[in-house]
Amino acid sequence: MLIARANFRRARGQTTAIALLVLLAALMLNLWLMLSMDYKQNFDRYHHKLNGEHVTLALNDSREEVREFISELLKKDERVEEYCLDDSFFMVGSFAYHKGEVNTELIILDKETALNRPVGTIEIVEDGGGESGVYLPMLYGSDDSLSAGETIELTVGNQIKTYKVCGFLNSVMAGSHNCAMSALVLTEDQYKELEGEGGLLKSTLVSVRLHDKRESQEFEADLKETVSARYPEIRAQSNSYELVSSSRYISQMICSGIVSAMAFLVTMIALVVIASNVINYIQENMKNLGALKAVGYESRQIIGALLFQFSGITLAAALPGIGFSYCLFPAVNGMMISQTGIPYAVHFLPVPFLVTISSIVGSVSVTVWLSARRIRKIEPITALREGILTHNFRKNRIPLERTRFPLNGALALKTTFSGVKQNVTVCITMLVLSLVLVFSGLMVENMIADMTPFIHMIVGETADSCINVRVEAEEEFLRRMKADERVEKVYLFNTMDALHVGGIGLMASVTDDFSDINNQDMCVEGRYPKYDNEVAIAVKYARERGLDIGDEITMAAEGKEVKYLICGYSQISNNLGRDCMFTRKGYERMGTLQNASYYINLADEVEVETFQEETGEWLGEDMNAAINILDVVEGAGRVYVSLMTVIVIAILILSGAVILFVLYLLVRSMLARKKRDYGILKALGFTTGQIILQTALSFMPAVVLSAAVGLAVSTQVINPLTALFLQGIGIVKCTFRVPLGFTVVSGVCLCLLAFGIACLLSLKIRKIVPKELLNGE
Amino acid sequence: MKEVLLKTKNLSKSFSNGGMLQHVLRNIDLELYRGDFTVIMGASGAGKSTLLYALSGMDTPTLGTITFGDETLSERSSDGLAVFRRRHCGFVFQQVYLIDGMSVMDNVLAAGLLVNRDRQALVKRAKELFLKVDIPEETWGKFPSQLSGGEAQRVGIVRALINSPDILFADEPTGALNSRTGLDVLDTLTTFHEQGQSVVMVTHDMRSARRGNRILYLKDGVVLGECDLGPYVSGDEGRHRKLKNFLGEMGW
Repeated sequence: MLIARANFRRARGQTTAIALLVLLAALMLNLWLMLSMDYKQNFDRYHHKLNGEHVTLALNDSREEVREFISELLKKDERVEEYCLDDSFFMVGSFAYHKGEVNTELIILDKETALNRPVGTIEIVEDGGGESGVYLPMLYGSDDSLSAGETIELTVGNQIKTYKVCGFLNSVMAGSHNCAMSALVLTEDQYKELEGEGGLLKSTLVSVRLHDKRESQEFEADLKETVSARYPEIRAQSNSYELVSSSRYISQMICSGIVSAMAFLVTMIALVVIASNVINYIQENMKNLGALKAVGYESRQIIGALLFQFSGITLAAALPGIGFSYCLFPAVNGMMISQTGIPYAVHFLPVPFLVTISSIVGSVSVTVWLSARRIRKIEPITALREGILTHNFRKNRIPLERTRFPLNGALALKTTFSGVKQNVTVCITMLVLSLVLVFSGLMVENMIADMTPFIHMIVGETADSCINVRVEAEEEFLRRMKADERVEKVYLFNTMDALHVGGIGLMASVTDDFSDINNQDMCVEGRYPKYDNEVAIAVKYARERGLDIGDEITMAAEGKEVKYLICGYSQISNNLGRDCMFTRKGYERMGTLQNASYYINLADEVEVETFQEETGEWLGEDMNAAINILDVVEGAGRVYVSLMTVIVIAILILSGAVILFVLYLLVRSMLARKKRDYGILKALGFTTGQIILQTALSFMPAVVLSAAVGLAVSTQVINPLTALFLQGIGIVKCTFRVPLGFTVVSGVCLCLLAFGIACLLSLKIRKIVPKELLNGE
Repeated sequence: MKEVLLKTKNLSKSFSNGGMLQHVLRNIDLELYRGDFTVIMGASGAGKSTLLYALSGMDTPTLGTITFGDETLSERSSDGLAVFRRRHCGFVFQQVYLIDGMSVMDNVLAAGLLVNRDRQALVKRAKELFLKVDIPEETWGKFPSQLSGGEAQRVGIVRALINSPDILFADEPTGALNSRTGLDVLDTLTTFHEQGQSVVMVTHDMRSARRGNRILYLKDGVVLGECDLGPYVSGDEGRHRKLKNFLGEMGW
């Protein structure tokens, strides 16, 4: 206790820096554990609270015959625990959001029905008190893009409706644009008005709770396929518990992945710094250790004192670190709620707390013990002679007699070669920071500065406009499009349902010729389908099921089963890695296109909205929908961009802080160790500036070398690492551009920052006169 | 007429000790001459080392001035004093203070390269000096911890002389050595003095003091007296008696 207290008093600055590193590590670790152990479980809590369904099926049909068929089906199925069928309107719709547009499958429910459904109850989380209007999923109000009392224009089919926003709702299975469908609730008068107009088809919303939620995907595929086989003319949209619970937490998964990596890296750096500190302590205090041993202290008592000292510091720093993670969590939640759309109340979590404390204190204790073990081997007499017997007469590196380096550079290099621990600590820190920088650059380049690569990976295919036309009108549509000078390219790109027999339902992308599509990166292995007996299948799904390129699989649509050869692996995360691709002829072997979505590239100066309006005018009833794809993508993508921007800023600040702490500890340690040498140099006539320069320069070989190696290696491994983070959303291969310019500039900045910090921290030399240094005071 | 190298006027140095001001040097007016072997003697705590550090620009006076040629040292910044030390001074310390991580040759060259960029000429001079002080070639690549005390001190003298300083300051250079080794070091200093090197040495050892031609006696921070011994001649009993009498007068 006395030894530990004396050590603490002796090195307050170093103790404070170590404490700050531990605080950061505890903050990140607890944040990660909260995100991974509780945040996602929030979905299950609300699912339970609202008696959420495990499978939702929306049909644009409300005939009694259809409903009876479905009811019979569900009654007979032993997997079903509970279900309900409700009146609704189901169609593709859009509204302005976040400087873009939300374009999604809408489920419009009557307020009374929505709040009183036995399965999949909807709760109102914010009620602006309006008596007439619409309630929107709460994520649209989470970032103040929309607020109660405002009016929105809702485009459904060819109609534009204006509603007052009465408030916001929470629906676990249809509460965001990540659920494949979004629930809107209309007040009674508005719903009746919509019913009375008769322009929209009345629909049926089927909500099913299962005994075992793990069967949700298979059940969804079976139900949808059975209904489609019986009623191929009905348009159906479905989702499952598994799909929704994953897709609503994509941002949580990304954020959790990044925070976990940062927590691990900061902890690693803290442990390396602590180990280095303990070893330096032993070297610098060899005489004192000898004296302690000489008066009868045992090695285990001295090691125990060090353990007590460092675990005390760790505990004292980890507790506020955990506290800060709770302070930070509302902000993190604020970022993510705009994607999850589910309310989360921050509360104390004992398990993450205990895991954080025990893992940090445990790892620090093990590190201190391993580093301090050498004390057992020190004989008192050797220690009293300041370890003279342990001196290692190494090779004389950079002999001044022969070197071509300038004097200060040569002396700095001598220090570099003599400081193995210092170099190892610097190298580990710089390697970690290089990886962080390359990752930041990747995010800036591919998500913030230009979203296209990110969008291509998440969404898959994009173009300027998508116009959905009736199949009968296709020929005329294509003729006019090809004659239109504003149109650069027009091609079919339909999204259909297909069932992998023996597997689950997949989202099928269908086009005439895959060489026409804009995003040629969707096929990550093999090739796109070319012939009508070929299918490209999601790589994540294929790996899960052991499906190889060249294998034959049976697919089904509208009740018809057909065998296909797997010609390639596809990757679109929009459906969480459950997609496949066919040529049109290939798909039509089992199903039919009820309507055709055409993607259109327009000339640069063409206004998309105007083009779509004009096209809609001459197509009339033959046009089912027109989507300004860029607006939709921007609207949804901005959520990710905001999240990524915050993450990039946070990790850059964190990187700066880490390098500051690490260099502070190293420079302090060096100043203490080399105080006598500095005194001699000053006495000989070296100026303070020269010694500061030597000190700072001595870090630079390790800094520059590890930064260069770190950046070079990071640019090679960053895409596979990013894919690892994103595998939960179906990504197994990333082909993001690694910005070389940014990487080089940030590497240079990192080195300059390290040099600047080392110079600043070495300024302490200025205050000491050589006589004092010589005396070692 | 001797050339004045260093001149002090009203040189005073005080330290704060537990809130009390302790006057270590008091209004010292002193001139040091080129070619002299000046020895500063006095009892422990008389201020000998403090005077040496002040004269050499290693420490700054509290009051008064120190002039080197036309320049006032006491007006220089700490970096200015460092430049002064590298160009005009050499130091031999009681504890030698070689840098542990550098070889013998590097310890010398680190000081030399500060002033002289001609590496080849510098190495040549270092080798000549090493041979003059009996440091053989096989020792040049060794590290300080591999040297004996006498060897280390002689390396220290080579380092002090590498830049051909105007003054060689020596602070108790034999204090940590046995009598045989100490004698070797004194012989080395004497040899260099005889070749024209100005030396200022602090000692409380009469045997060492005998090597000087001018003895200053310090007591309670003031120069109490001085004695001109004349050039050193080995075995000259007359010099010894003169020094002994002087020190006796000073209350030694």
